[in-house]
Order: sequence, then C-alpha cells, then structure tokens
Amino acid sequence: MPLYESVIQEKPPIVLDIGNAYTKLGFAAEAHPRKIIPTTVVLSTTSETKRLFDFADTTEFYDQIVDFLQMIFFKHLLVSPKERKIVVVENIFGQTVTRETLARVLFKHFDMSSVLFVPAHLISLSTLALPTAVVVDIGYSEVTVMPVFSGVQIMPAFMDQSYGGSAVHNEIKRQLVASGIKESLLTENVLEDIKVRVCFVTTFERAQARLKGNEPQPTPSPSVDYPICDYDTIIEIPGIVRETVYEIMFEQSNERDSLPHLILRAILECSVDVRRALLESIFLIGGGAMVMGLLPRLKQELQHLLETDAYYKDRFHGEVEFKFYKPIGKENFTAWLGGALCGATDLIQTRSLTKDAYARNEHVPDWTNLCDNRHAGS
Amino acid sequence: MSFMQPSPVKYACSCGIVNPINKLFFCRHCPKLRCGYCVSHEVESHFCSNCLENIPSSEARHKKNCCANCFDCPCCHHTLSARATTVPVVRKTEEPKDGESAGAATPPPASSKPSAVPTTKKMYYLSCLSCRWTTRDVGIPDQGVATGTWPDNECLYQARFNTLMEYYQSVVLQEKQEKQEFQRRKAPKAHKFPSLTDRTGLTVSLIRRQIGWSEKNVPKTKPLNITPAEAISELEDLPQDIFTQPINLRNITTVAQRHSQPADQPTAVGNLYPQRRSLWIKRSLRCRQCEHNLIKPEYHPTSIKYRIQLFASYHVPEVVMVRLEHPLEAGQSNAILLKLSNPTMYDMTISILDEKPTEEPQINPDEFQATCKIKEEAVTSSPLMKVAALARQTLTKEVTREVRDVANAKIKLLESEFVLNQRDDSKEFDEEVQAQTEEPNFIVWRKGNKVLLRLQFTPAAELEVNDVVTLGFFMQYTYVNTVSNTAEKKEPTTHTLSSRLFIDAGRIEKGN
Repeated sequence: MPLYESVIQEKPPIVLDIGNAYTKLGFAAEAHPRKIIPTTVVLSTTSETKRLFDFADTTEFYDQIVDFLQMIFFKHLLVSPKERKIVVVENIFGQTVTRETLARVLFKHFDMSSVLFVPAHLISLSTLALPTAVVVDIGYSEVTVMPVFSGVQIMPAFMDQSYGGSAVHNEIKRQLVASGIKESLLTENVLEDIKVRVCFVTTFERAQARLKGNEPQPTPSPSVDYPICDYDTIIEIPGIVRETVYEIMFEQSNERDSLPHLILRAILECSVDVRRALLESIFLIGGGAMVMGLLPRLKQELQHLLETDAYYKDRFHGEVEFKFYKPIGKENFTAWLGGALCGATDLIQTRSLTKDAYARNEHVPDWTNLCDNRHAGS
Repeated sequence: MSFMQPSPVKYACSCGIVNPINKLFFCRHCPKLRCGYCVSHEVESHFCSNCLENIPSSEARHKKNCCANCFDCPCCHHTLSARATTVPVVRKTEEPKDGESAGAATPPPASSKPSAVPTTKKMYYLSCLSCRWTTRDVGIPDQGVATGTWPDNECLYQARFNTLMEYYQSVVLQEKQEKQEFQRRKAPKAHKFPSLTDRTGLTVSLIRRQIGWSEKNVPKTKPLNITPAEAISELEDLPQDIFTQPINLRNITTVAQRHSQPADQPTAVGNLYPQRRSLWIKRSLRCRQCEHNLIKPEYHPTSIKYRIQLFASYHVPEVVMVRLEHPLEAGQSNAILLKLSNPTMYDMTISILDEKPTEEPQINPDEFQATCKIKEEAVTSSPLMKVAALARQTLTKEVTREVRDVANAKIKLLESEFVLNQRDDSKEFDEEVQAQTEEPNFIVWRKGNKVLLRLQFTPAAELEVNDVVTLGFFMQYTYVNTVSNTAEKKEPTTHTLSSRLFIDAGRIEKGN
C-alpha cells in the first residue's frame, strides 16, 4: 500500500477516553483533547442529569450511552459519526458489559466503521516513547498500578485500591462535617472544587510528626474562607483539612494497601530481572496525580519503606533510587494523548475491530475470553 | 399544544419509544412514525451562534470547530465583546522638539502641546459583560482592529508531540513492511515451469548483485531515532510558603475554567486566555430504513425554515385531551373527551381499536428497499455509490424494542368508524353551518377538520388513590400518500396505518 493512502486520511479518527468523572474527547494526531467534559448524561426521555455509569440494567445503560455519545458527536465534536473510525481508551480490567454495550452503540446506533480499543496504561507510555515503566493511574473511583516491561503489561502484578478522587471527596466531607459544617452545603461539585483549589499533599516530615504525635505539632497551613455561592454562605476550611485529606493515600495499616505499598508490591510481583528497571521509572497519570506535592511525598514514602520495612528490605538490595517521569501534557489526559498518537498511525487500519467483523458474531474480542485467546491456527 | 407542559397524549414510535407528537417525525416513504432516537443524525452545516456566520465544513475542520472572530470568556464562558478605546499616539518625529518634557510627561501630548495635531488611534480590547473580565487583566496588549489578531494559546509540547507521532508512524510502517515481506517469502511461487534459478540456487538478487546492478528491493524504512523521556529523581518540593501564607481563592482557577483550556489547564487566573467560540451545527435527519431525508434545514444560519420537513403533526391525526366527564375513580366507568384533527389535505377514516390491527401486506420492506436503491442508482449511477449501497446492506440493524404497555383502564370501543374531514384553511372563515348529517352518537361536535369524540373507559378496579390512569388504544387511520415509491405509479396511494396511543388521564381521586 502506498504511503499516502495509509497515512493521510481525510477524516481523522475520533479519540475518546471515558473516565469515571471526566471524559476526554478529541481527534487523532492532535496534541490535546478538544474538550474535557464531566461524564454525566442528560437523559432525553426524562431530561434529568445522571452519571453515565449509574445504571440498573443493560438497556438503561445502552440508552445512556446513546444520549452521551449523541451529545459528544453533535455538541462537542460536530461530526457525523457515520462511517468514521474511533479510538476508545479503556481500562484493561474494565467491565465486559461496558465495552460490549459501547461497541453495540457505536456499530448499531451510530453506524461507525471501526473501533480500536487501546488499554490506558500501556498507551500512556507511548507519550514518553518508552517501553518500560510502572504506570500508576490515579482516577476518580480507583487507583491502579500496572507495571509494563518492554511494551508488555505484566497482568499478574496489577494492583488497585479505591482511594481515588471520590475517596478524597468523602474525606473532605467527613472532616468538614466534623468541624461543624452543614452536610447539605457540601455537594459533590463543592467538594471537588475544594479539593482542586485548596488541598495539597503535605510533606513527609510533617506527616510523620503528626503520626507520631510529637510535641510540638507542626502549625497547620492558614485556613481559607470558602464561599458557596448557591447558598450565599462562607465556610471556613481549616488548614489541617487542607493538609491532611490526602493522607488516606498514605495511611499505614496491616493490609499494606497504601499507595507506596501498592507500587512496591506490584514491582515485587514482577520477575526479579525487571524490578530494578521498574523502580527507576514510575509514571503517574490521571487527574488525581495533578495535586501539588504528591510526587516528592510519594518518593520519600517509598524510600522510607525500603529503609524501614523488613519485608521490602529483604527483597530489594543495593542502592535504589526511585525516579519519576514527567508527562508531556497534563496528567489527566495522558491516556487520551496516547490514544491520539495511536490513532495517527496505521494501527487504526490494521488493528481495529471493523463493522463487518463485529457483524459476524456481535462480540468484541477480549483478552479474558478464551475464544479470542487461542492461537489463530487452531 | 402547550410547549411548557408535557403533553398527556403520547404516541408509540415504530422503534417502541413513547413520545408526544411534537417530537415525532413521519417517514412518508416507509410510511411509519420515527423519533429522534431511531433516525440517523447528520451534520448539515456549521455556523457560529454569535456572529451567525456560515462556515463551510472544510474550513470548520481547519479552524478546529471554532469561530475565527468570536471569543468566550475564560472565567464565566459568556461571549466576549470588543470594546473600543481611543489612545493618544505620540508621533516619533515630534519627540525631539519637546525634549525638556519628554522624560517627565509623555502621556498627554495633545494638551501639553496644543500646536501638535492630536492624533488618537482606536484600540480594541475584549471584555466580558457578565463578569467584567477583560483581556487587559491578563496583560494581552490591545489590538488595532476589532476582529484582532488575538493570541492563540500555543501548545507548549507541540514539537515533541509531532516527533512522537512521526516516530510511531515510522515504527508501524516498518512493522507492516516486514509483515508483507514475510508473506511474500512464505507464499510459494506458482510457476508452470521450473525456472533456472530454482535449480541452480541462484536467486534474482544474487544474479543482480553478480551483474553489478543495484538491489531491486525497496530500501527498508528505518524507524526514526527518538530520545525517550528522561526519568527524574529531583522533584520540585512543595513551596514552603504554602504552610505560612494565606491563599487568595480569587487567584486560583476552578475546575471548569481549567478544563475549558484543556491544553495547559492553568491554575492561576492570570494565565486564562480568551477562548475561541465553538461552532454550532444544523442537523439533518435521515430515516434509517429507507435512507430518505426526514428533516433538512435551510443552509443559511439565520433561517429557521426547512427544505424538507416531515414532522408527524403534518401527517398523523393529532389527538388532544379535552376533559374528563367525572373525577376518576377506580372501577367506575367514565368518559373522556378527545379532540382529533386532520392535518392532511385528504379525508381520513378513523377507528379506535384495542389491539393491533393485522397489517395489510402493503409494502414488503425488502422489496421496497430494493426499489429505493434502484432509484438511487439511477440518480447517481456511480460505482462508488453502489459500493456504499452494498455496504449499507451489511449494516447491522438496531433491535426494535417492544412498546411498554402501561395502560390500566378498559376502553369501550366505538360502534363504528368515522370520517375526519380534510383540512381546508378557507373553511375556517365560513360562517354557514354545515348541513347536519346523521352522526354517530359518540361524536359530540364537528367543525372543519376537527372532531370532538366521547370515549368511554373504566379504570382498573385495583388502582389506589393517586395512581395515574393511563388509557391505551390503537388509532387506525387512512393516509393518502402523495409520494410514490415506484416510478410507474403516479397517482397517490391510500394506506391504512395505525398508531398506538397512550393518554395520561390523571390520578385517581377517590377510593372506593
């Protein structure tokens, strides 16, 4: 095939990353998404707003996806979806019902010509031009850790925990309600705004001092008067709240499930030969990774665990220094950016699930499904 | 029909979703009811909702679906308007003359030097009339022209992104070439006669090399070199003053403001830049079964008219609920008054049924589609369109869902069918009373194309107080179709169609 046929396409493929809180949408070969919109859908039947992933049965979910994509195509991207290609960035451990329903909507309702599902963790690495890293995705509903070595995801080493953005929201709410603020004021939007504008991850030394209960305790940051316009009130956010809400990610427990533990355990699940390479390449993506002070804190916590925790001391030897990668864009659309890079190459032609292939057996190939995993010859 | 209140009368669309008549379309070619869900939407034209300028789709794609002239406020997403100011301009040639005052006061040259011609220049800046944000707040210099060459916020890593893209394109291309090469070698050559090279072990490339010719093979593309990202171990620490200095919330952007500028997502208000306004579109709707247009708007953005408009209320008799005779009671017979009106230019014969009438074998869908396609081919008759038509056949059809039956009252059927007269606008002004004909007793009143109908029903006995009573029935009507599907038949054809209706009659008021 001549070069021009494969590379130059008249219609650029659509790239979609549907997150639990925000959806990133745009076109392939563009350096940033066109829009970042909340993953909520206004139902065409009852015109109420609800989250896309709240559903009782598949039919309801199908209708919600139809309404949601209708809005994306005709209000934001302004293209006819018919006969177009699309790249969907997906969570590799996402629910089967999600991708099956999504594929059904894309092919049957919108009549698109092909869909390319790309795994978020792996494709994020393409923005660094690297084959190896531990990819930590701090999303809204969960934190996931996936080590990738030489472009292969190490599936058994996958780890996840539920302290993502929504857990931080709950923590802010809990602390503010405890300090005497009415719960009805603290809607989800207000909590998110407080989290993004006011809160940060405190330093390792201060957190340790709090933990040990030493005297004197570090003086907390100045408190902030936060106006809530909808109710015409001003609430005071104490400095201690600003500093400590992110401590849920670093809470020590016997479960060994705080964020640094999660990363170290994921690396330990990998084979011995790849561990050192992984230790020196940690890549944080997802909107939750954009908070101030997270990286230095995480690094210090990891170093601290290696030095003090006997379990890790026995398993990691020699001089270890944790290194981190900076994303080229912003963390919250790094996975989308990987999808945009992927959609710009010829992979969109060769690796996509086409409409004809889908029409044959109405099924999306999945790595967990034995039918799709068998060798092609058998 | 009221636009503010949801209509109590709902029609079941052919796809199984229940809608009021003002949300439905009618495909004359099928002929069936369609709704927004079961038609395919297409982008007809792009326009800017602020300056109402029509923008061709190629230009819209080039401009990334943004208007060239209009901007949105980055703070509140309201439209920005250009404000003009006059600024005094100091002529460079005059400067040496007032040498003694040049250092001290240059701003008012017109007043200090009356002999100099007061030259002023109109300068423009953008201002939000809603939240008072201006481009001056963030230090964007004023522009000489109103439409202005306002700065686009450039993507900082665009160069790196382009390098990455080229790199991956070359990697994928190389992979593909290797695969092709592999398949070429694997495939055995099917020659009728054994060639000389097979026997002697000489290959074409060997011979070429012996003769001294260049290699025939295409030079292999090598992936470009790329410097992978560097891992860093020195991370920037939290600024120390975060623990001591109070923060000013007014200087920190909200989530919505950050997301409206997705490339850089600034955290400080000072980095907000005017955003180019997104375009809007006009949509055209197309029936999925027969591929005919149902709605096609006029091209011009200011026009609200349509070139093709097949709204259901122009073709299907409209049913309006007038009133109930008695308050609703469970198990007590009641009657409802319905006004039916005929929007078409032909008389309709209407009957009310309680179960779906057996479909008369009017149109075989496959046959019909074939005729449609033949017509289409005759029009376009290009091989490309044929391919497209073939591709459409493989299209997997969406499953039609069953209409959810929510009726909970028993309808007493009418004794006979009745005629709904054609619509005649001139009759509206006629004073003379029509000659009274013998009417069936369920017709309360009749004028022009409208009929008031008395329909008896009994709500189900097991309903509780405050339960909604829903009547459900089938309305069968004759419809004269002026478009013909086949080329040879020119006269209008008459179909007998039926629609399923649900009427929300109200709530049970008294218990029994």
